[in-house]
Parts: sequence; structure tokens; C-alpha cells
Amino acid sequence: MRDRSLWIGFLLALGLGLSIALTQTQELDPYKEAERQRELFRQTAGILPGELYAAQGEELFYAKRGPKNTSLEACDFGLGPGKLEGALTQLPRYFPDTRRVEDLETRIRSCMINLQGFRPEQITREDIKALTAFVASKSSEMPINVVPKTSQEIAMYNLGRELWFHRAGDRDMNCAICHDAYAGGKVRLSPVRSPRQGLSNEWPAYRFEADKLYTLQDRIAFCYESVGIHPPEFYSEPYIALSMYMLAEATRGKNNFTEMPGFTR
Amino acid sequence: MKGRHYIGLLALLLAGLTLSQGSPFQQRLQQAIQSGGSKFAEAMKQDPDQALCSQYRDKIPAALVGAFLERQRALIKYPADGKLMGDWKQGEALFTNPRKGNCYACHTGDPKEPGAGTMGPGLVNYGQRGTSEAVVKYTYDKIYNAWASMPCSLMYRAGYHGILTPEETAHVTAFLLDPASPVNAKR
Ligand code: HEC
Ligand code: HEC
Repeated sequence: MRDRSLWIGFLLALGLGLSIALTQTQELDPYKEAERQRELFRQTAGILPGELYAAQGEELFYAKRGPKNTSLEACDFGLGPGKLEGALTQLPRYFPDTRRVEDLETRIRSCMINLQGFRPEQITREDIKALTAFVASKSSEMPINVVPKTSQEIAMYNLGRELWFHRAGDRDMNCAICHDAYAGGKVRLSPVRSPRQGLSNEWPAYRFEADKLYTLQDRIAFCYESVGIHPPEFYSEPYIALSMYMLAEATRGKNNFTEMPGFTR
Repeated sequence: MKGRHYIGLLALLLAGLTLSQGSPFQQRLQQAIQSGGSKFAEAMKQDPDQALCSQYRDKIPAALVGAFLERQRALIKYPADGKLMGDWKQGEALFTNPRKGNCYACHTGDPKEPGAGTMGPGLVNYGQRGTSEAVVKYTYDKIYNAWASMPCSLMYRAGYHGILTPEETAHVTAFLLDPASPVNAKR
């Protein structure tokens, strides 16, 4: 067990150096560049960084941890305790036990608090990210299936749509003006997609440009930052509402998740 | 027919109700925004025309466009010396700098710049339209306050928000219009 964590840590460290070396050669087509980087990782390390995060998450998931010394095996992601296959595809959803609509990250956190007895301030972002990568890996390439049904879910979807159109800040931005009105355009080299075209279907993902794993909350925070708006605190309602909106729209557009965790720029 | 009218009116009233400031929905929205923390909530505060754009999903009804444009035009400030075309070299730096104009995020300009965005119209050879007073003023106004000619444009109001001062706006105007600028170089 110990050996395995060491090995993962070592490979992650290796990945760091590797991608710094790799990103120095700039190529113009971002999709081809992502494909090229992915192949390089496969050939040189024999494994993708996302898979390493997922392996770390798997160890955390089955380890007895926290004041209650239990694993997360009894965590219910909406399909029954311990059912991980396809769990990501139907999140966010309403959970009667917490009486909240939760996305994958928030749900993992709730289980760490309620099952393992952690206090919120004891839970690290790194653990949540690794666990998110692991649980998401069980929904690789599956159809997205987020359909708001309960009154709480429908309310969350409506909040998400309102935030989607909320223009604010020095850069006068909202999500819609880039991701709907100008979908198909490019900000610098980055092609912009709309929710119906599957926006948000590749997260959690390893971003080689940042050499980090980004969850969907991290990716939304990045868009807020890039338009000069201080992002919301993790696990707060704006993330859950926006994810609900984007993934419900991606469901309407009949999109699948990419390989999970994703690999992107 | 009458019934339909009535339903239409009801729908309008309901829409107005959910969007007005004090409605339960707006209160719930504010609560959600507050849950993101005080810095986020502060950044998400809107001025009245940002709120109007949100309310109408960035498509202002025809009846409200005139007043909208007028309000935005009134926000434009000009350099003290009245010159709307400054130094294109300083303009180039401001156009490029991601913390200032960040114009390459959405526009082409100097064709040698790699990886320029395509969200806005291409600006290579923008100076072809000459440097008449009308063209210079249109360009200056667009850069200072894009919403004064296009309500709820994707292009932000760089001057209004203080991202560019009036003098800096004049430099960027020159970068687009000066015949000596690389934007307009003979090729
Ligand atoms: C100024 C334009 C702009 C605004 C405003 C903006 N984005 Fe983005 N967004 C981008 C660009 C550019 C990318 C990068 C696309 C890429 O590299 O694939 C991106 C990427 C994303 C992605 C990941 C890409 C994917 O395909 O899954 C998500 C999710 C996202 N944005 C959500 C949002 C949300 C939510 C908001 C509002 C809070 C928002 N964005 C506001 C331009 C914008
Ligand atoms: C977020 C994307 C975005 C950014 C950043 C941006 N623009 Fe624009 N720009 C647009 C769009 C979209 C239009 C077309 C709609 C309009 O006129 O507002 C436009 C229009 C223009 C026009 C009018 C073009 C014409 O043919 O009449 C000019 C000039 C212009 N932009 C200059 C600039 C300058 C200078 C900057 C940097 C200070 C800048 N833009 C930054 C998106 C952007």
C-alpha cells in the first residue's frame, strides 16, 4: 500500500517535469496539440496523469479514514450506496439526507463529513480532487443524463440559468455572451463551445497547460477569474447551479462524457 | 383570441415579477450569490444596464434601445486636449497587454501576432476606412464604450470601467487607424 502511494507520487512528480518540457513546443491547432501531448504521456510515462489522480483517489476511497475510521464505500451518489458505475452521469441531483442539490465534489465532501466524521476544515482540496477523478473514471464516455425532476433540482437549474446570464464586472461578462452568442469563435486559440454542444463534458480533466487536475468547479472558477470576477468559494451554490444548468443542457444536446478523467489544454 | 391575449399578459406580468428586484426568485438568487462568499458577491454587483442586459438575455427590446444607447453615450469621456488619435506605438502595447486592452483575445490586428482570437470582427487593415473625423470618433467611442453603439455587446466598456483612460483610448485608436501602424502596413 505504502509503496503504491510512493510510486504514484513519483510518477506525478515526473509528469510535472515532463509537461513543462512538452509545452514549450507550441502548435496552433489546440485539439491536435492536446492529442499530441496525450500520446507523448502514453509513450514516455506509459500512463496518463488523470489515471494517476484516479489511482490516488481509489486508495483514498477504500482506506479507513477520519474520526470514524471508515472507508467511503457506503457513500451514495444517487444510485445506491457504493454504486459508482455511471454515478457522474446523473449529477448534480437532490439528496434527501443532506437536503441539498449536490454535484460530485460536494457529495464526496458530504460523505467525508457524514460517514467518516471529518470536520469541513480538515478536508483538503487535493483529496477531493483525487476522489472526484476516481469516481468520475467509472463514467468514462457514458451519455450525460442530468434531467432536473424534483422541485429542488428545477429551482437549482433556474438559478443556474440566471447566473449564466448575469452580466457583471469590469469586463461586462456573463457566460452566455461567450458560450452561446459566440460559440464557435475563439478566444485567442481556444475554441468556445455551448452547453448544447457538450460544454463541461470533459471534467474532471488533466490540463497539460497548467499541469494540474481541474474539476468542473475549478474550470468554472477559471472562467470567472479570466473575466476579472473573484470566483465563488468551492462547494457553494453558484457552482452547483451552473453545473446543473450546463449539464442539463448538454443532456438535451445528447452529449457523452469524454474519457474520464479528461485530458485537455 | 381574448383568452390568448389574457394568457400573454399574464405571462408578461409573471416574467416581470420573477425578474423584479424584490421578487422571491431574485431574493433566492441573491442568497445563492452570497453563498459564494463576500468577494464573489461584491464582484457580481451590477450597474443598471448590466442588469437590463441580464434581464433581456442580451437582447434589449427595440423600444428600450434608444434610451439605452443615450445613457451609454453620456458615459464617454474625451482627452483634455481633444485629440482622439494618439501615438500608435503606445496603442500597440495597450492593445496587446492582457491586463489592459487585451484586444487580441477577440480580434486580429497586426497580422504577425500569432493566435489572435476570432470572437470579434477581424481588424487587419482597419485603417482602410481613412481618418475622417467621423471614423476617428466612431473608433474612439467603440473602444471607450462598446455599448454606446451596440447594447450588451460582448466587447466590454474599457473606458467606462477605467481599464483604458481617455488618453490611452486615443493611443489604441491610433494603433487601428494610423497608416504607419502594422495593422495597416502595405502587404
Ligand atoms: C470571455 C469569454 C468567456 C466567458 C465570459 C466565459 N467563458 Fe468559459 N470558456 C471560455 C474559453 C475561451 C474557454 C476555453 C475553451 C477551451 O480551451 O476548450 C472556456 C472554457 C469553459 C469550460 C470548459 C470547456 C469545456 O469545453 O468543457 C467551461 C465548463 C466554461 N468555460 C464555463 C463557463 C461559465 C460557467 C462561465 C460563466 C461563469 C464562462 N465559462 C464564462 C470563454 C469564456
Ligand atoms: C471579448 C471579446 C472582445 C474584446 C476583448 C474586444 N472586442 Fe472589439 N469587438 C468585439 C465584438 C463582438 C465586436 C462586434 C460588436 C460590436 O461592435 O460591439 C467588436 C467590435 C469592435 C470594433 C468595431 C469594428 C468595426 O468593424 O466596426 C472595434 C474597432 C473594436 N472592436 C476594437 C477593439 C479594441 C481596440 C479592443 C481592445 C481594447 C477590443 N475591441 C476588445 C469583441 C471584443
